[in-house]
Amino acid sequence: MKRIGFSTGAIAFGDFGRALSLLSRFEVNAVELSALRFAELDPLLRAIDHLDLRQFQYVSFHAPSKFSAEDEPRLVQLLRRISDRKWPIILHPDSIFRPELWLPLQDALCFENMDKRKPVGRTAAELQSLFDLYSKASLCFDMGHAHQVDRTMSEGRLIAQRYSRRIRQLHISEVNTRSEHVPISAASEFAFSKVIDLLNQDTPIIIESVVREDEIESELIRVVGVFEGAIRELCSKDWG
Amino acid sequence: MSPLSSNAIDELCLKVDRRWKAIDAAKKDADTGIQRIANILADHRLVSSDTSFVVFGSLARGEWTVNSDVDWTLLVDGEANPDHLKVSQQIKSRFIQAKLNEPGSTETFGKLAFSHELIHQIGGEGDSNKNTTRRILLLLESRAIGNPDAYDRVVKNVLNRYLDNDISFLSRSGQHYKVPRFLLNDIVRYWRTMCVDYASKHRERQGEKWALRNAKLRLSRKLIFASGLLTCFNCYLKPPPEFKNNLFDLPEHMEPLLLHLKAHVRLTPLEILADALVSFAKPETAIQIFDAYDRFLTMMNDGEIRKHLDSLQAKDAHSDKVFNEIETISNKFQNGLNRLFFEENADIAELTKKYGMF
Repeated sequence: MKRIGFSTGAIAFGDFGRALSLLSRFEVNAVELSALRFAELDPLLRAIDHLDLRQFQYVSFHAPSKFSAEDEPRLVQLLRRISDRKWPIILHPDSIFRPELWLPLQDALCFENMDKRKPVGRTAAELQSLFDLYSKASLCFDMGHAHQVDRTMSEGRLIAQRYSRRIRQLHISEVNTRSEHVPISAASEFAFSKVIDLLNQDTPIIIESVVREDEIESELIRVVGVFEGAIRELCSKDWG
Repeated sequence: MSPLSSNAIDELCLKVDRRWKAIDAAKKDADTGIQRIANILADHRLVSSDTSFVVFGSLARGEWTVNSDVDWTLLVDGEANPDHLKVSQQIKSRFIQAKLNEPGSTETFGKLAFSHELIHQIGGEGDSNKNTTRRILLLLESRAIGNPDAYDRVVKNVLNRYLDNDISFLSRSGQHYKVPRFLLNDIVRYWRTMCVDYASKHRERQGEKWALRNAKLRLSRKLIFASGLLTCFNCYLKPPPEFKNNLFDLPEHMEPLLLHLKAHVRLTPLEILADALVSFAKPETAIQIFDAYDRFLTMMNDGEIRKHLDSLQAKDAHSDKVFNEIETISNKFQNGLNRLFFEENADIAELTKKYGMF
Protein backbone atom coordinates (compact mmCIF):
# COMPACT_ATOMS: atom_id res chain seq x y z
CA MET A 1 0.00 0.00 0.00
CA LYS A 2 1.24 3.45 -0.93
CA ARG A 3 2.39 5.60 1.98
CA ILE A 4 0.61 8.91 1.65
CA GLY A 5 -0.44 11.74 3.93
CA PHE A 6 -0.21 15.44 4.64
CA SER A 7 2.09 17.97 6.16
CA THR A 8 0.47 19.11 9.41
CA GLY A 9 1.18 22.73 8.42
CA ALA A 10 -0.84 22.39 5.22
CA ILE A 11 -4.08 21.37 6.87
CA ALA A 12 -3.89 23.27 10.17
CA PHE A 13 -1.45 26.16 10.10
CA GLY A 14 0.59 26.21 13.30
CA ASP A 15 -1.59 23.63 15.06
CA PHE A 16 -0.17 20.11 14.78
CA GLY A 17 -2.67 18.77 17.32
CA ARG A 18 -5.62 19.80 15.21
CA ALA A 19 -3.90 18.53 12.07
CA LEU A 20 -3.39 15.06 13.57
CA SER A 21 -6.96 15.01 14.77
CA LEU A 22 -8.15 15.87 11.25
CA LEU A 23 -5.96 13.18 9.71
CA SER A 24 -7.32 10.53 12.07
CA ARG A 25 -10.56 10.72 10.07
CA PHE A 26 -8.87 9.67 6.84
CA GLU A 27 -7.07 6.60 5.59
CA VAL A 28 -3.64 8.14 5.50
CA ASN A 29 -0.53 6.40 6.73
CA ALA A 30 2.13 9.09 6.38
CA VAL A 31 2.58 12.45 8.03
CA GLU A 32 5.10 15.25 8.13
CA LEU A 33 5.19 17.07 11.45
CA SER A 34 5.81 20.65 10.54
CA ALA A 35 7.82 23.15 12.53
CA LEU A 36 8.37 25.32 9.50
CA ARG A 37 8.28 28.45 11.65
CA PHE A 38 10.87 28.56 14.40
CA ALA A 39 8.24 29.38 17.01
CA GLU A 40 6.52 26.07 16.29
CA LEU A 41 9.60 24.04 17.19
CA ASP A 42 9.55 24.02 20.98
CA PRO A 43 5.83 23.24 21.40
CA LEU A 44 6.08 20.41 18.88
CA LEU A 45 9.19 18.91 20.51
CA ARG A 46 7.60 19.18 23.96
CA ALA A 47 4.55 17.30 22.72
CA ILE A 48 6.29 14.76 20.55
CA ASP A 49 6.49 11.93 23.09
CA HIS A 50 2.77 12.16 23.71
CA LEU A 51 1.48 12.33 20.14
CA ASP A 52 -0.60 9.42 18.98
CA LEU A 53 1.10 8.49 15.72
CA ARG A 54 0.04 4.83 15.58
CA GLN A 55 -1.92 5.51 12.40
CA PHE A 56 1.25 6.34 10.49
CA GLN A 57 3.76 3.97 8.91
CA TYR A 58 5.90 6.93 7.97
CA VAL A 59 6.68 10.07 9.94
CA SER A 60 9.01 12.90 8.97
CA PHE A 61 9.81 16.19 10.61
CA HIS A 62 10.08 19.53 8.84
CA ALA A 63 12.75 21.70 10.45
CA PRO A 64 12.28 25.48 10.61
CA SER A 65 12.96 27.16 7.30
CA LYS A 66 14.31 30.32 8.93
CA PHE A 67 16.43 30.72 12.02
CA SER A 68 19.24 32.97 13.14
CA ALA A 69 22.90 32.05 13.17
CA GLU A 70 22.79 32.32 16.98
CA ASP A 71 19.93 29.80 17.15
CA GLU A 72 21.58 27.33 14.80
CA PRO A 73 23.65 25.29 17.35
CA ARG A 74 20.65 24.95 19.66
CA LEU A 75 18.44 23.90 16.74
CA VAL A 76 20.89 21.19 15.69
CA GLN A 77 21.02 20.00 19.29
CA LEU A 78 17.22 19.86 19.53
CA LEU A 79 16.91 18.01 16.24
CA ARG A 80 19.00 15.16 17.61
CA ARG A 81 15.79 14.03 19.29
CA ILE A 82 14.31 13.58 15.83
CA SER A 83 17.32 11.83 14.33
CA ASP A 84 17.36 9.46 17.33
CA ARG A 85 13.89 8.38 16.26
CA LYS A 86 15.22 7.70 12.75
CA TRP A 87 12.74 10.16 11.32
CA PRO A 88 13.89 12.11 8.28
CA ILE A 89 14.49 15.80 9.00
CA ILE A 90 13.29 17.88 6.05
CA LEU A 91 15.57 20.88 5.70
CA HIS A 92 15.77 23.84 3.36
CA PRO A 93 19.37 24.05 2.15
CA ASP A 94 19.37 27.86 2.12
CA SER A 95 18.65 28.01 5.87
CA ILE A 96 22.07 26.70 6.93
CA PHE A 97 24.69 29.12 8.26
CA ARG A 98 27.47 26.77 9.44
CA PRO A 99 27.44 23.58 7.36
CA GLU A 100 29.78 21.72 9.72
CA LEU A 101 27.24 21.89 12.56
CA TRP A 102 24.87 19.69 10.59
CA LEU A 103 27.33 16.97 9.61
CA PRO A 104 26.60 14.75 12.64
CA LEU A 105 22.92 14.73 11.66
CA GLN A 106 23.48 13.94 8.01
CA ASP A 107 21.97 10.45 8.10
CA ALA A 108 18.67 12.05 9.02
CA LEU A 109 18.95 15.16 6.85
CA CYS A 110 16.59 15.16 3.91
CA PHE A 111 17.18 18.27 1.80
CA GLU A 112 14.28 19.70 -0.11
CA ASN A 113 14.77 21.07 -3.62
CA MET A 114 13.79 24.72 -3.51
CA ASP A 115 11.36 27.08 -5.26
CA LYS A 116 12.69 29.76 -7.53
CA ARG A 117 12.90 32.47 -4.86
CA LYS A 118 15.77 30.67 -3.20
CA PRO A 119 19.39 31.09 -4.26
CA VAL A 120 20.38 27.43 -3.84
CA GLY A 121 18.99 23.91 -4.15
CA ARG A 122 16.69 24.60 -7.09
CA THR A 123 18.24 22.42 -9.75
CA ALA A 124 20.02 19.11 -10.04
CA ALA A 125 23.33 20.96 -10.39
CA GLU A 126 22.71 23.14 -7.33
CA LEU A 127 21.75 20.10 -5.23
CA GLN A 128 25.00 18.39 -6.15
CA SER A 129 27.10 20.73 -4.01
CA LEU A 130 24.93 19.80 -1.00
CA PHE A 131 25.37 16.11 -1.50
CA ASP A 132 29.09 16.60 -2.01
CA LEU A 133 29.16 17.97 1.51
CA TYR A 134 26.57 15.70 3.09
CA SER A 135 27.20 12.40 1.34
CA LYS A 136 24.75 10.46 3.54
CA ALA A 137 21.90 12.96 3.28
CA SER A 138 18.78 12.20 1.31
CA LEU A 139 16.39 14.24 -0.85
CA CYS A 140 12.81 15.33 -0.35
CA PHE A 141 11.77 15.76 -3.98
CA ASP A 142 9.32 18.65 -4.05
CA MET A 143 7.48 18.19 -7.34
CA GLY A 144 5.66 21.53 -7.03
CA HIS A 145 8.93 23.41 -6.58
CA ALA A 146 10.49 21.56 -9.52
CA HIS A 147 7.48 22.52 -11.65
CA GLN A 148 7.68 26.16 -10.59
CA VAL A 149 11.40 26.30 -11.43
CA ASP A 150 10.92 24.70 -14.83
CA ARG A 151 7.44 24.33 -16.31
CA THR A 152 8.61 21.71 -18.80
CA MET A 153 9.64 19.46 -15.87
CA SER A 154 12.92 18.60 -17.58
CA GLU A 155 14.77 19.89 -14.51
CA GLY A 156 12.41 17.78 -12.40
CA ARG A 157 13.25 14.72 -14.47
CA LEU A 158 16.93 15.47 -14.12
CA ILE A 159 16.60 15.67 -10.33
CA ALA A 160 14.55 12.46 -10.21
CA GLN A 161 17.05 10.66 -12.43
CA ARG A 162 20.25 11.88 -10.83
CA TYR A 163 19.12 11.45 -7.24
CA SER A 164 16.77 8.51 -7.56
CA ARG A 165 18.62 6.61 -4.81
CA ARG A 166 18.55 9.59 -2.48
CA ILE A 167 14.84 10.40 -2.77
CA ARG A 168 13.38 9.50 0.61
CA GLN A 169 10.13 11.42 0.44
CA LEU A 170 8.01 13.39 -2.04
CA HIS A 171 6.33 16.73 -1.53
CA ILE A 172 3.37 17.35 -3.77
CA SER A 173 1.27 20.48 -4.28
CA GLU A 174 0.84 23.18 -6.90
CA VAL A 175 3.17 26.12 -6.31
CA ASN A 176 1.74 29.35 -7.64
CA THR A 177 3.57 32.42 -8.90
CA ARG A 178 3.66 33.80 -5.34
CA SER A 179 5.36 30.55 -4.25
CA GLU A 180 2.31 29.51 -2.21
CA HIS A 181 1.33 25.84 -1.99
CA VAL A 182 -2.18 25.47 -3.40
CA PRO A 183 -4.33 22.47 -4.43
CA ILE A 184 -3.13 20.77 -7.58
CA SER A 185 -4.86 21.50 -10.88
CA ALA A 186 -4.91 19.69 -14.20
CA ALA A 187 -1.80 21.61 -15.34
CA SER A 188 0.17 20.24 -12.37
CA GLU A 189 -1.18 16.77 -13.01
CA PHE A 190 0.11 16.88 -16.56
CA ALA A 191 3.47 18.08 -15.30
CA PHE A 192 3.85 15.58 -12.44
CA SER A 193 2.91 12.66 -14.65
CA LYS A 194 6.10 13.38 -16.61
CA VAL A 195 8.35 12.29 -13.73
CA ILE A 196 6.38 9.57 -12.01
CA ASP A 197 7.95 6.81 -14.09
CA LEU A 198 11.33 7.75 -12.57
CA LEU A 199 10.17 7.48 -8.98
CA ASN A 200 10.19 4.49 -6.69
CA GLN A 201 6.51 3.78 -6.18
CA ASP A 202 7.07 3.03 -2.48
CA THR A 203 8.42 6.49 -1.73
CA PRO A 204 6.20 8.22 0.86
CA ILE A 205 4.10 11.07 -0.50
CA ILE A 206 3.48 14.14 1.65
CA ILE A 207 0.83 16.52 0.36
CA GLU A 208 1.67 20.15 1.02
CA SER A 209 -1.34 21.75 -0.69
CA VAL A 210 -2.88 24.19 1.76
CA VAL A 211 -6.46 22.95 1.96
CA ARG A 212 -9.50 23.52 4.12
CA GLU A 213 -10.86 20.69 6.22
CA ASP A 214 -13.55 19.96 3.64
CA GLU A 215 -10.96 19.76 0.87
CA ILE A 216 -8.65 17.17 2.47
CA GLU A 217 -10.39 14.16 1.00
CA SER A 218 -10.68 15.52 -2.55
CA GLU A 219 -7.00 16.55 -2.55
CA LEU A 220 -6.03 13.10 -1.33
CA ILE A 221 -8.10 11.43 -4.06
CA ARG A 222 -6.63 13.80 -6.63
CA VAL A 223 -3.04 13.04 -5.67
CA VAL A 224 -3.61 9.28 -5.58
CA GLY A 225 -5.23 9.66 -9.01
CA VAL A 226 -2.16 11.41 -10.40
CA PHE A 227 0.10 8.52 -9.41
CA GLU A 228 -2.30 5.77 -10.37
CA GLY A 229 -3.12 7.47 -13.69
CA ALA A 230 0.54 7.83 -14.58
CA ILE A 231 1.23 4.20 -13.71
CA ARG A 232 -1.75 3.04 -15.75
CA GLU A 233 -0.50 5.06 -18.69
CA LEU A 234 2.96 3.55 -18.34
CA CYS A 235 1.56 0.03 -18.23
CA SER A 236 -0.60 0.60 -21.29
CA LYS A 237 2.26 2.05 -23.36
CA ASP A 238 3.34 0.09 -26.36
CA TRP A 239 7.07 -0.25 -25.75
CA GLY A 240 7.67 -2.29 -28.90
CA MET B 1 -25.26 62.26 -8.11
CA SER B 2 -25.79 58.71 -6.87
CA PRO B 3 -22.62 56.58 -6.83
CA LEU B 4 -22.13 53.72 -9.25
CA SER B 5 -24.54 51.01 -8.24
CA SER B 6 -24.06 47.27 -8.45
CA ASN B 7 -27.79 46.59 -8.47
CA ALA B 8 -28.74 49.34 -10.87
CA ILE B 9 -31.29 47.26 -12.77
CA ASP B 10 -33.30 46.78 -9.59
CA GLU B 11 -33.03 50.50 -8.87
CA LEU B 12 -34.23 51.28 -12.37
CA CYS B 13 -37.15 48.88 -11.93
CA LEU B 14 -38.08 50.72 -8.76
CA LYS B 15 -37.72 54.11 -10.39
CA VAL B 16 -39.97 53.33 -13.36
CA ASP B 17 -42.14 50.76 -11.56
CA ARG B 18 -41.58 48.05 -14.14
CA ARG B 19 -39.75 44.72 -14.41
CA TRP B 20 -38.48 43.18 -17.60
CA LYS B 21 -39.20 39.48 -17.73
CA ALA B 22 -36.82 38.46 -20.50
CA ILE B 23 -33.95 40.43 -18.97
CA ASP B 24 -34.59 38.80 -15.58
CA ALA B 25 -34.87 35.34 -17.14
CA ALA B 26 -31.70 35.76 -19.21
CA LYS B 27 -29.81 36.80 -16.10
CA LYS B 28 -31.10 33.81 -14.17
CA ASP B 29 -30.23 31.44 -17.02
CA ALA B 30 -26.76 32.98 -17.28
CA ASP B 31 -26.21 32.42 -13.56
CA THR B 32 -27.29 28.79 -13.97
CA GLY B 33 -24.96 28.38 -16.97
CA ILE B 34 -22.07 29.91 -15.05
CA GLN B 35 -22.68 27.60 -12.11
CA ARG B 36 -22.73 24.61 -14.46
CA ILE B 37 -19.42 25.65 -15.98
CA ALA B 38 -17.96 26.36 -12.54
CA ASN B 39 -18.83 22.80 -11.51
CA ILE B 40 -17.18 21.29 -14.60
CA LEU B 41 -14.03 23.34 -14.03
CA ALA B 42 -13.90 22.51 -10.32
CA ASP B 43 -14.66 18.80 -10.75
CA HIS B 44 -11.74 18.40 -13.12
CA ARG B 45 -9.56 21.14 -11.57
CA LEU B 46 -9.00 22.69 -14.95
CA VAL B 47 -7.90 26.12 -13.79
CA SER B 48 -4.37 26.32 -12.42
CA SER B 49 -3.19 29.09 -10.13
CA ASP B 50 -1.53 31.08 -12.92
CA THR B 51 -4.66 31.10 -15.08
CA SER B 52 -8.26 32.26 -14.94
CA PHE B 53 -11.15 30.88 -16.92
CA VAL B 54 -12.95 33.83 -18.48
CA VAL B 55 -16.27 33.94 -20.30
CA PHE B 56 -17.34 36.66 -22.71
CA GLY B 57 -20.48 37.34 -24.75
CA SER B 58 -24.00 36.71 -23.60
CA LEU B 59 -22.97 34.59 -20.63
CA ALA B 60 -20.77 37.38 -19.24
CA ARG B 61 -23.42 40.00 -20.01
CA GLY B 62 -25.99 37.99 -18.08
CA GLU B 63 -28.07 37.58 -21.24
CA TRP B 64 -28.06 33.82 -21.75
CA THR B 65 -30.63 32.62 -24.25
CA VAL B 66 -31.29 29.41 -26.20
CA ASN B 67 -28.40 28.33 -28.41
CA SER B 68 -26.06 30.96 -26.96
CA ASP B 69 -22.40 30.06 -27.51
CA VAL B 70 -19.99 29.76 -24.62
CA ASP B 71 -17.27 32.23 -25.60
CA TRP B 72 -14.33 31.52 -23.30
CA THR B 73 -10.59 31.76 -22.95
CA LEU B 74 -8.13 30.30 -20.54
CA LEU B 75 -6.31 33.49 -19.61
CA VAL B 76 -2.67 32.83 -18.77
CA ASP B 77 -0.80 35.28 -16.56
CA GLY B 78 2.33 33.46 -15.58
CA GLU B 79 5.28 31.67 -17.01
CA ALA B 80 5.06 29.96 -20.36
CA ASN B 81 3.90 26.41 -19.76
CA PRO B 82 3.42 23.90 -22.59
CA ASP B 83 0.75 22.10 -20.55
CA HIS B 84 -1.62 25.08 -20.69
CA LEU B 85 -2.55 23.99 -24.21
CA LYS B 86 -3.47 20.51 -22.98
CA VAL B 87 -5.64 22.06 -20.28
CA SER B 88 -7.47 24.28 -22.78
CA GLN B 89 -8.04 21.24 -25.00
CA GLN B 90 -9.40 19.36 -22.02
CA ILE B 91 -11.77 22.23 -21.24
CA LYS B 92 -12.98 22.15 -24.82
CA SER B 93 -13.68 18.44 -24.73
CA ARG B 94 -15.39 18.62 -21.32
CA PHE B 95 -17.71 21.33 -22.69
CA ILE B 96 -18.52 19.25 -25.76
CA GLN B 97 -19.36 16.32 -23.45
CA ALA B 98 -21.60 18.65 -21.45
CA LYS B 99 -23.30 19.74 -24.70
CA LEU B 100 -22.34 23.39 -24.30
CA ASN B 101 -22.24 25.32 -27.56
CA GLU B 102 -18.75 25.97 -28.87
CA PRO B 103 -17.58 29.52 -29.64
CA GLY B 104 -17.95 30.97 -33.13
CA SER B 105 -15.67 30.21 -36.04
CA THR B 106 -13.35 33.23 -35.77
CA GLU B 107 -11.22 31.38 -33.19
CA THR B 108 -11.06 34.48 -31.01
CA PHE B 109 -12.39 32.33 -28.20
CA GLY B 110 -12.24 28.70 -27.11
CA LYS B 111 -8.50 28.70 -26.56
CA LEU B 112 -5.63 30.25 -24.62
CA ALA B 113 -5.11 34.00 -24.28
CA PHE B 114 -1.93 35.52 -22.87
CA SER B 115 -1.68 38.49 -20.56
CA HIS B 116 1.43 39.92 -22.21
CA GLU B 117 -0.28 40.40 -25.55
CA LEU B 118 -3.33 41.98 -23.95
CA ILE B 119 -1.28 44.37 -21.85
CA HIS B 120 1.56 45.29 -24.18
CA GLN B 121 -0.01 45.21 -27.63
CA ILE B 122 -2.40 48.14 -27.42
CA GLY B 123 -2.33 49.81 -30.83
CA GLY B 124 0.48 49.48 -33.34
CA GLU B 125 1.30 46.67 -35.71
CA GLY B 126 1.14 43.92 -33.09
CA ASP B 127 -2.44 44.70 -32.07
CA SER B 128 -4.37 42.24 -34.21
CA ASN B 129 -8.12 42.30 -34.61
CA LYS B 130 -8.27 39.24 -32.35
CA ASN B 131 -6.16 40.90 -29.67
CA THR B 132 -8.23 44.11 -29.73
CA THR B 133 -11.43 42.08 -29.49
CA ARG B 134 -10.17 40.07 -26.52
CA ARG B 135 -8.84 43.15 -24.74
CA ILE B 136 -11.89 45.36 -25.16
CA LEU B 137 -14.32 42.57 -24.39
CA LEU B 138 -12.25 41.74 -21.31
CA LEU B 139 -13.13 45.24 -20.11
CA LEU B 140 -16.70 45.47 -21.36
CA GLU B 141 -18.25 42.01 -21.18
CA SER B 142 -16.20 39.42 -19.34
CA ARG B 143 -16.44 37.40 -16.18
CA ALA B 144 -14.01 35.05 -14.47
CA ILE B 145 -15.40 31.72 -13.33
CA GLY B 146 -13.48 30.16 -10.45
CA ASN B 147 -10.23 31.68 -9.23
CA PRO B 148 -10.19 35.29 -10.54
CA ASP B 149 -6.60 36.13 -9.53
CA ALA B 150 -5.06 36.08 -13.02
CA TYR B 151 -8.12 37.84 -14.45
CA ASP B 152 -8.00 40.60 -11.83
CA ARG B 153 -4.29 41.14 -12.42
CA VAL B 154 -4.70 41.37 -16.20
CA VAL B 155 -7.71 43.70 -16.03
CA LYS B 156 -5.86 46.00 -13.65
CA ASN B 157 -2.75 46.02 -15.82
CA VAL B 158 -4.69 46.71 -19.03
CA LEU B 159 -6.52 49.61 -17.36
CA ASN B 160 -3.23 50.84 -15.97
CA ARG B 161 -1.79 50.90 -19.49
CA TYR B 162 -4.62 53.14 -20.70
CA LEU B 163 -4.33 55.55 -17.78
CA ASP B 164 -0.57 55.58 -17.66
CA ASN B 165 -0.32 56.46 -21.33
CA ASP B 166 -2.67 59.44 -21.03
CA ILE B 167 -0.72 62.62 -20.31
CA SER B 168 -2.80 63.27 -17.21
CA PHE B 169 -5.83 61.75 -15.61
CA LEU B 170 -6.74 65.00 -13.86
CA SER B 171 -8.29 68.09 -15.43
CA ARG B 172 -6.20 71.28 -15.81
CA SER B 173 -7.85 72.72 -12.71
CA GLY B 174 -6.99 69.52 -10.87
CA GLN B 175 -10.55 69.32 -9.58
CA HIS B 176 -11.91 66.60 -11.84
CA TYR B 177 -10.88 63.30 -13.27
CA LYS B 178 -10.78 63.56 -17.02
CA VAL B 179 -12.46 61.13 -19.35
CA PRO B 180 -9.69 58.57 -20.08
CA ARG B 181 -9.25 59.41 -23.72
CA PHE B 182 -6.88 56.58 -24.68
CA LEU B 183 -9.30 53.98 -23.33
CA LEU B 184 -12.29 55.73 -24.85
CA ASN B 185 -10.64 55.91 -28.27
CA ASP B 186 -9.91 52.20 -28.15
CA ILE B 187 -13.54 51.46 -27.27
CA VAL B 188 -14.75 53.67 -30.12
CA ARG B 189 -12.25 52.03 -32.44
CA TYR B 190 -13.50 48.59 -31.41
CA TRP B 191 -17.11 49.57 -32.09
CA ARG B 192 -16.20 50.83 -35.55
CA THR B 193 -14.16 47.66 -36.14
CA MET B 194 -17.18 45.54 -35.28
CA CYS B 195 -19.26 47.53 -37.76
CA VAL B 196 -16.66 47.14 -40.51
CA ASP B 197 -16.15 43.45 -39.75
CA TYR B 198 -19.89 42.93 -39.96
CA ALA B 199 -19.74 44.00 -43.61
CA SER B 200 -16.60 41.96 -44.21
CA LYS B 201 -18.12 38.80 -42.71
CA HIS B 202 -21.23 39.32 -44.82
CA ARG B 203 -19.05 39.25 -47.91
CA GLU B 204 -16.78 36.37 -46.80
CA ARG B 205 -19.57 34.13 -45.63
CA GLN B 206 -21.88 34.92 -48.52
CA GLY B 207 -24.63 36.19 -46.30
CA GLU B 208 -24.69 33.21 -43.92
CA LYS B 209 -26.31 34.16 -40.58
CA TRP B 210 -26.50 37.74 -41.80
CA ALA B 211 -29.76 38.59 -40.06
CA LEU B 212 -28.67 37.33 -36.65
CA ARG B 213 -25.40 39.27 -36.90
CA ASN B 214 -27.32 42.36 -37.98
CA ALA B 215 -29.67 42.08 -35.02
CA LYS B 216 -26.78 41.66 -32.59
CA LEU B 217 -24.93 44.62 -34.07
CA ARG B 218 -28.01 46.82 -33.69
CA LEU B 219 -28.64 45.77 -30.10
CA SER B 220 -26.20 43.73 -28.00
CA ARG B 221 -23.05 45.06 -29.66
CA LYS B 222 -24.35 48.62 -29.58
CA LEU B 223 -25.15 48.08 -25.90
CA ILE B 224 -21.54 47.23 -25.06
CA PHE B 225 -20.37 50.30 -26.98
CA ALA B 226 -22.80 52.49 -25.03
CA SER B 227 -21.71 50.95 -21.72
CA GLY B 228 -18.06 51.48 -22.71
CA LEU B 229 -18.68 55.17 -23.34
CA LEU B 230 -20.49 55.47 -20.02
CA THR B 231 -17.62 53.69 -18.24
CA CYS B 232 -15.26 56.38 -19.53
CA PHE B 233 -17.70 59.26 -18.96
CA ASN B 234 -18.30 58.11 -15.37
CA CYS B 235 -14.69 58.96 -14.48
CA TYR B 236 -15.86 62.57 -14.83
CA LEU B 237 -19.55 62.22 -14.05
CA LYS B 238 -19.35 59.86 -11.08
CA PRO B 239 -15.84 60.21 -9.68
CA PRO B 240 -14.67 57.75 -7.06
CA PRO B 241 -15.50 58.81 -3.49
CA GLU B 242 -11.80 59.05 -2.58
CA PHE B 243 -11.60 61.98 -4.98
CA LYS B 244 -14.77 63.69 -3.88
CA ASN B 245 -13.83 63.48 -0.23
CA ASN B 246 -10.38 64.90 -0.85
CA LEU B 247 -11.10 67.94 -2.98
CA PHE B 248 -8.30 69.89 -1.35
CA ASP B 249 -5.96 66.95 -1.10
CA LEU B 250 -5.80 65.76 -4.68
CA PRO B 251 -4.75 62.20 -5.27
CA GLU B 252 -1.43 62.14 -7.03
CA HIS B 253 -1.71 58.51 -7.96
CA MET B 254 -4.19 56.85 -10.25
CA GLU B 255 -5.24 54.07 -7.86
CA PRO B 256 -8.73 55.45 -7.05
CA LEU B 257 -9.46 55.91 -10.75
CA LEU B 258 -8.12 52.46 -11.52
CA LEU B 259 -10.38 50.92 -8.89
CA HIS B 260 -13.29 52.98 -10.18
CA LEU B 261 -12.81 51.60 -13.68
CA LYS B 262 -12.33 48.10 -12.28
CA ALA B 263 -15.70 48.42 -10.53
CA HIS B 264 -17.25 49.03 -13.97
CA VAL B 265 -15.60 45.89 -15.36
CA ARG B 266 -17.39 43.86 -12.69
CA LEU B 267 -20.78 45.14 -13.87
CA THR B 268 -22.67 43.95 -16.92
CA PRO B 269 -23.31 46.40 -19.78
CA LEU B 270 -27.02 46.45 -18.90
CA GLU B 271 -26.18 47.33 -15.29
CA ILE B 272 -23.94 50.21 -16.41
CA LEU B 273 -26.65 51.45 -18.77
CA ALA B 274 -29.32 51.11 -16.08
CA ASP B 275 -27.13 53.06 -13.67
CA ALA B 276 -26.84 55.91 -16.20
CA LEU B 277 -30.57 55.84 -16.91
CA VAL B 278 -31.35 56.11 -13.20
CA SER B 279 -29.00 59.08 -12.83
CA PHE B 280 -29.35 60.97 -16.10
CA ALA B 281 -32.46 60.03 -18.10
CA LYS B 282 -36.19 60.55 -17.95
CA PRO B 283 -38.22 57.49 -16.92
CA GLU B 284 -39.85 57.22 -20.36
CA THR B 285 -36.43 57.03 -22.01
CA ALA B 286 -35.34 54.29 -19.63
CA ILE B 287 -38.54 52.37 -20.33
CA GLN B 288 -38.11 52.73 -24.09
CA ILE B 289 -34.53 51.42 -24.02
CA PHE B 290 -35.20 48.54 -21.65
CA ASP B 291 -38.50 47.59 -23.33
CA ALA B 292 -36.67 47.34 -26.64
CA TYR B 293 -33.84 45.29 -25.18
CA ASP B 294 -36.26 43.04 -23.32
CA ARG B 295 -38.09 42.30 -26.55
CA PHE B 296 -34.76 41.60 -28.27
CA LEU B 297 -33.88 39.03 -25.60
CA THR B 298 -37.35 37.50 -25.88
CA MET B 299 -36.78 37.02 -29.59
CA MET B 300 -33.26 35.66 -29.07
CA ASN B 301 -34.65 33.15 -26.58
CA ASP B 302 -37.16 31.84 -29.11
CA GLY B 303 -35.63 28.88 -30.94
CA GLU B 304 -37.91 29.31 -33.94
CA ILE B 305 -37.09 32.99 -34.36
CA ARG B 306 -33.35 32.31 -34.09
CA LYS B 307 -33.63 29.55 -36.64
CA HIS B 308 -35.56 31.87 -38.95
CA LEU B 309 -32.97 34.65 -38.57
CA ASP B 310 -30.16 32.14 -39.09
CA SER B 311 -31.37 31.39 -42.59
CA LEU B 312 -32.79 34.76 -43.60
CA GLN B 313 -31.00 36.37 -46.56
CA ALA B 314 -30.37 40.11 -46.74
CA LYS B 315 -32.34 40.42 -49.95
CA ASP B 316 -35.48 39.07 -48.24
CA ALA B 317 -35.10 41.05 -45.05
CA HIS B 318 -37.23 44.09 -45.83
CA SER B 319 -40.33 42.04 -46.46
CA ASP B 320 -39.76 39.76 -43.51
CA LYS B 321 -42.02 40.19 -40.50
CA VAL B 322 -39.50 38.99 -37.92
CA PHE B 323 -36.73 41.15 -39.28
CA ASN B 324 -39.05 44.14 -39.46
CA GLU B 325 -39.66 43.73 -35.76
CA ILE B 326 -35.90 43.63 -35.13
CA GLU B 327 -35.63 46.90 -37.07
CA THR B 328 -38.45 48.46 -35.07
CA ILE B 329 -37.04 47.55 -31.67
CA SER B 330 -33.50 48.49 -32.68
CA ASN B 331 -34.76 51.90 -33.80
CA LYS B 332 -36.47 52.38 -30.44
CA PHE B 333 -33.27 51.31 -28.69
CA GLN B 334 -31.22 53.75 -30.77
CA ASN B 335 -33.68 56.62 -30.23
CA GLY B 336 -33.57 56.02 -26.50
CA LEU B 337 -29.76 56.05 -26.55
CA ASN B 338 -29.84 59.28 -28.59
CA ARG B 339 -31.95 60.89 -25.91
CA LEU B 340 -29.63 59.66 -23.14
CA PHE B 341 -26.42 60.69 -24.87
CA PHE B 342 -27.52 63.89 -26.64
CA GLU B 343 -30.65 65.36 -25.11
CA GLU B 344 -31.60 64.71 -21.52
CA ASN B 345 -28.44 65.57 -19.64
CA ALA B 346 -26.24 68.50 -20.58
CA ASP B 347 -23.06 66.97 -19.16
CA ILE B 348 -23.41 63.70 -21.07
CA ALA B 349 -24.32 65.58 -24.25
CA GLU B 350 -21.22 67.74 -23.88
CA LEU B 351 -18.99 64.72 -23.24
CA THR B 352 -20.51 62.85 -26.19
CA LYS B 353 -19.81 65.79 -28.48
CA LYS B 354 -16.33 66.33 -27.09
CA TYR B 355 -15.12 62.72 -26.93
CA GLY B 356 -17.49 60.68 -29.03
CA MET B 357 -17.23 62.44 -32.33
CA PHE B 358 -13.87 64.06 -33.05
